[in-house]
Amino acid sequence: MSAIKLDAKIPAGPIKDKWERHKFEMKLVNPANKRKYTIIVVGTGLAGGAAAASLGELGYNVLNFCIQDSPRRAHSIAAQGGINAAKNYRNDGDSVYRLFYDTVKGGDYRAREANVYRLAQLSVNIIDQCVAQGVPFAREYGGLLDNRSFGGAQVSRTFYARGQTGQQLLLGAYQSLMRQVNAKTVRMFARREMLDLVIADGKARGIIVRNLVTGEIERHAAHAVVLATGGYGTAYYLSTNAVNSNVTAAWRAHKRGALFANPCFTQIHPTCIPVTGSHQSKLTLMSESLRNDGRVWVPKKQGDTRPPDQIPEDDRDYFLERKYPSFGNLVPRDVASRNIKQVCDEGRGVGKTGLAVYLDFRDAIKRLGVDVIKEKYGNLFQMYEKITDENPYQTPMRIYPAIHYTMGGLWVDYNLMSNVPGLYVLGEANFSDHGANRLGASALMQGLADGYFVIPYTIGDYLATQSPGQVSADQPAFAEGAESVQKRIDQLLSVRGTRTIRSIHRELGKLLWDDVGMARTDASLRRALEKIPALRESFWHEVSVPGKPDNLNQSLEYAGRVADYLEFAELLTLDALHREESCGGHFREESQTPDGEALRDDARYTYAAAWEFKGVGQAPELHKEPLVFDEVHPTQRSYK
Amino acid sequence: MPSPLRAFGSSVGMKLLIGITGLGLFVYLIVHIIGNLMVFFGPEVFNRYAFVLSSNPLIPIIEIGLLLVFVVHVYKTVRMFLANQTTRPITYAKKRYAGPPSRKTLASSTMIVSGLWLLVFIVIHVRTFRFGSHYEWPAGGNDLYRVEMEAFSNPLTVAFYILSMIIVGSHLWHGISSGFQSLGFDHPRWTPRILAAGKLFAVLIAGGFIVIALWAHFIGARP
Amino acid sequence: MRLNLKIWRQSSRDAAGRLEDYTADDVSPDMSFLEMLDVVNEGLIRQGKDPIAFDSDCREGICGMCSLVVNGVAHGPDRGTTVCQLHMRRFRDGDTITIEPWRAKAFPVIKDLVVDRSAFDRIITAGGFVSVNVGGAPDGNSIPIPKHDAETSMDSAACIGCGACVAACKNASAHLFMSAKISHLVLLPQGAVEGRRRVVSMIQQADAEGFGSCSNEGECEAVCPKEIPISNIARMTREYLKALLWA
Ligand SMILES: Cc1cc2nc3c(=O)[nH]c(=O)nc-3n(C[C@H](O)[C@H](O)[C@H](O)COP(=O)(O)OP(=O)(O)OC[C@H]3O[C@@H](n4cnc5c(N)ncnc54)[C@H](O)[C@@H]3O)c2cc1C
Ligand code: HEM
Ligand code: HEM
Ligand code: SF4
Ligand code: F3S
Ligand code: FES
Repeated sequence: MSAIKLDAKIPAGPIKDKWERHKFEMKLVNPANKRKYTIIVVGTGLAGGAAAASLGELGYNVLNFCIQDSPRRAHSIAAQGGINAAKNYRNDGDSVYRLFYDTVKGGDYRAREANVYRLAQLSVNIIDQCVAQGVPFAREYGGLLDNRSFGGAQVSRTFYARGQTGQQLLLGAYQSLMRQVNAKTVRMFARREMLDLVIADGKARGIIVRNLVTGEIERHAAHAVVLATGGYGTAYYLSTNAVNSNVTAAWRAHKRGALFANPCFTQIHPTCIPVTGSHQSKLTLMSESLRNDGRVWVPKKQGDTRPPDQIPEDDRDYFLERKYPSFGNLVPRDVASRNIKQVCDEGRGVGKTGLAVYLDFRDAIKRLGVDVIKEKYGNLFQMYEKITDENPYQTPMRIYPAIHYTMGGLWVDYNLMSNVPGLYVLGEANFSDHGANRLGASALMQGLADGYFVIPYTIGDYLATQSPGQVSADQPAFAEGAESVQKRIDQLLSVRGTRTIRSIHRELGKLLWDDVGMARTDASLRRALEKIPALRESFWHEVSVPGKPDNLNQSLEYAGRVADYLEFAELLTLDALHREESCGGHFREESQTPDGEALRDDARYTYAAAWEFKGVGQAPELHKEPLVFDEVHPTQRSYK
Repeated sequence: MPSPLRAFGSSVGMKLLIGITGLGLFVYLIVHIIGNLMVFFGPEVFNRYAFVLSSNPLIPIIEIGLLLVFVVHVYKTVRMFLANQTTRPITYAKKRYAGPPSRKTLASSTMIVSGLWLLVFIVIHVRTFRFGSHYEWPAGGNDLYRVEMEAFSNPLTVAFYILSMIIVGSHLWHGISSGFQSLGFDHPRWTPRILAAGKLFAVLIAGGFIVIALWAHFIGARP
Repeated sequence: MRLNLKIWRQSSRDAAGRLEDYTADDVSPDMSFLEMLDVVNEGLIRQGKDPIAFDSDCREGICGMCSLVVNGVAHGPDRGTTVCQLHMRRFRDGDTITIEPWRAKAFPVIKDLVVDRSAFDRIITAGGFVSVNVGGAPDGNSIPIPKHDAETSMDSAACIGCGACVAACKNASAHLFMSAKISHLVLLPQGAVEGRRRVVSMIQQADAEGFGSCSNEGECEAVCPKEIPISNIARMTREYLKALLWA
């Protein structure tokens, strides 16, 4: 297998015409034959749900899987802020090209230009499609769609549905999906967890799943497999992701030969509600928009424990405004997060744990009045108060960064096919179009573009080369897959140790957060590379997985996911260690500008790092996909 | 589209019928109480009113209609109640009122009890008043006044009526506004008013009938 | 704080279940209700016992996965709050808390506090969608929609499909859930087109699933984490009437 040759299959021609041309050049499947092709789609988030629905509409025979009890609950539901599209409804100078440009630059020049351009082009169709489905986007009094500016963009291109954009988009996709279930083109398999990918004759041919209710190990065969299983943020234990999010599906595919690209590109969101204690199971995101009016500060002195209202102006350090006079509190996510960490490391953090900074609305309330603030942020303030029992109208909010999104993922070519023929990867699960940093409101866009508008075309190109008809799970590869899944389950249940899964996951998370988090150094990464295998060892010797395999066993599910994280974490760290530059969400302290900004090393690292699995604990093999920038020329990002 | 019969068998269609019949019965009660308030003006007025009313040729048709409405109401509510008994095979060990804006009340939770009581009451009541004693009234018709005074001279009857009227009130306390909701009526300004008015009418109707019964017992029935 | 818990345990769909007593020690007021259960489970695992199964995912009130009846109220005592957002500071030291699953014939218990809500999916499958295929959608601004209509539609679209309405209703009626979807779609021109067909088939499906009918008690609205009002149910009835009258 070491003869892997990465081919991104970027179509020739000017960037504007690549997709059009490619659509024409791709092979088509005879409409009458479509129902004779079976496609497995794993995941029902924006990417998976949209893909399953649109493939069903085309007439393919689709099998769709998710872990939750209903496809409507995929983690995409939690996205709040909005979705970008280059509609230029505001006449403020937006265009497909500008969205493309912003995304490439925002990704710190580590994304593939052709993909990003296509994404910007398709963004326009997404909004139309969603409106037609009945997504109740915010509107203006004239009845037309409203936009807001988001995540520091200089144009208003973000469409939203209150603070529930992800929910509404997902429900749109879910309803289309249910329509296909009604039409019998899609069969839904909820409460199933994919535990292995089946490759036969060098092609992805099916999956092995565990029925989470009965415990049965099921084999499903298809002509192609589409993974849309989301990101791996929960590797860090505490994150803004839903607690069942996992890397399992992607990781098992990786172990079967799919390359994993740029795992070290993780995004940290600066405005989350801080941790209160070890009982904490997840972190809650507070919308980025709060930084429009809130001022971020800490006391100047270390260990200043006075309540915030008793700290006079002179003893406060508005550090973002001080260091970035022109962007101030609105610097991008990665910059804000890093600075917050820095002041806390200096011992100037606030709150019981010292791991928080203030986000203060005092001045905004003085300037605009309580009513304006209430109108703008009322919901968020309420949510904050519900969780912390503090009234942000009176005391400043406390915030701290948290893991939020993962740009890395399975490597895919322009067609979203991985290096394994017939295995497609969509949404957050692929290494995506966001390079080293994702801009706000772009993940939803990518998920839907992949699902509604890319995969329906590109999968046809592949299927047209496959013979239609019955697919059978009776091949030896399926038996082997099922067996290995069974073996792993038996192993997990047979350890019978004394440590809880959660305590190990918590330890892994802390380790990653401390050493492979916001600021990484050669030493911290090497330290992590020593600790992770040791922790993995102790997992397999000390973990206690209660219960039986033949019914609903949430501990068993959880154990499997943590076991995979314990393998995956090593790759994440290794990738971070190998990339001796800072870019986007990946900050190596050794590589910074004199003012402490991320310093890229374009000469050495203008590539996507795609790793090939060689065995647990074995060094993976690195494959490089060089990135070529014909359109946008890499520059140093600056927010001074 | 389903056939009308099936349409009114669905959970929503059934409520349409219950709502319309319930409100129909409510309207009847309003008319009924107005008529019965005539009793305060003495036998001449009351009996004359009853006579004029009952000699209207439309009355038999209206009575049949009323009976029909009543039967549909009882049939549908009982069917619905029985169907709803199967929707939660294992009940909660602990169940509590969820607080406002819930409209749940003791009255709403006991509609079937109050309804069945009403069924019994109405059978007895109609037997006494409609198919009971007949005293020729010289100006025509039955001396209903006398029938009524005789009935209410018995304190046990009065007690039974008062209790029944409280139960009518309870049925209407939830029923009136509920009937509007079941018919799909809802309006940001009017719904709160209907809720309040429904309760007011429930009290007025129950109170009015109780006053009649008490008046008859303590004043009207004494010669 | 120290709490006494009475929790429904049921090993499988067909097994009989019962309330069992547990104590939760060292409960911090900052914990969420589910985190408190996590801690109890940690303790059970350490004692070699089977932890309590309960559903959750986003833990921030949007996915609709969590589903506990706390002291007789679906999602617990706070209004407009899912149980994953409920915090322990709402309780006092020494309190006894009864925790039960959603109870309805149409939501059979799978294990302990986990129920099967696929009936909701089947209701949506019956018609809770707009029949448009990908591609060919007109420009998003081609049909202006009055802001007020879009907002009202959004109020109903906020439903997270948790099923608390069913759990709270004495009839285990799905009317609030169903009417929220019907309202969401029918209030928009895109969804109004097939409004009549939708309302009839969704109601038929809900009835076939074994949900009850509505007695207009409004307990559902009171427990709904998204505070969806029963005026939606009235709207559903109107749509149903329209469907019958103009069949
Ligand atoms: C709090 C929060 C707010 C956000 N806000 C925004 C925003 O405003 N704008 C924006 O653009 N982006 C936002 N994002 C990011 C965005 O929501 C996600 O990146 C995106 O929704 C991912 O979609 P997806 O379809 O790739 O995966 P997901 O929605 O995560 O779906 C994964 C699916 O895969 C299934 N699955 C996973 N593993 C398995 C397995 N092993 N077997 C079977 N099935 C499996 C799951 O059941 C699920 O159906 C936000 C993220 C968070 C956490
Ligand atoms: C004069 C007599 C009666 C009047 C005025 C009356 C009125 C009403 C009204 C207005 C409603 C509300 C309708 C709705 O919710 O849609 C109602 C409901 C009900 N009625 Fe009656 N009713 C009467 C007699 C009865 C009888 C005899 C029964 C016997 C079974 C009965 C049983 C019920 C029940 C069970 C309900 C509740 C239905 C539900 O749960 O939604 N009623 N009634
Ligand atoms: C103090 C209370 C009441 C008094 C004095 C009273 C009096 C009467 C009288 C005098 C009649 C006979 C009318 C006739 O024969 O033409 C009658 C009939 C009737 N009453 Fe009442 N009534 C009372 C309460 C009620 C209540 C609460 C109900 C319903 C819940 C009710 C339902 C009826 C019905 C259905 C009839 C038969 C109507 C008909 O056949 O046309 N009554 N009542
Ligand atoms: S209507 Fe409310 S309670 Fe019912 S499912 Fe929707 S969100 Fe949950
Ligand atoms: S609680 Fe039940 S009775 Fe109707 S109003 Fe709600 S569905
Ligand atoms: S866990 Fe998602 S709503 Fe409670």
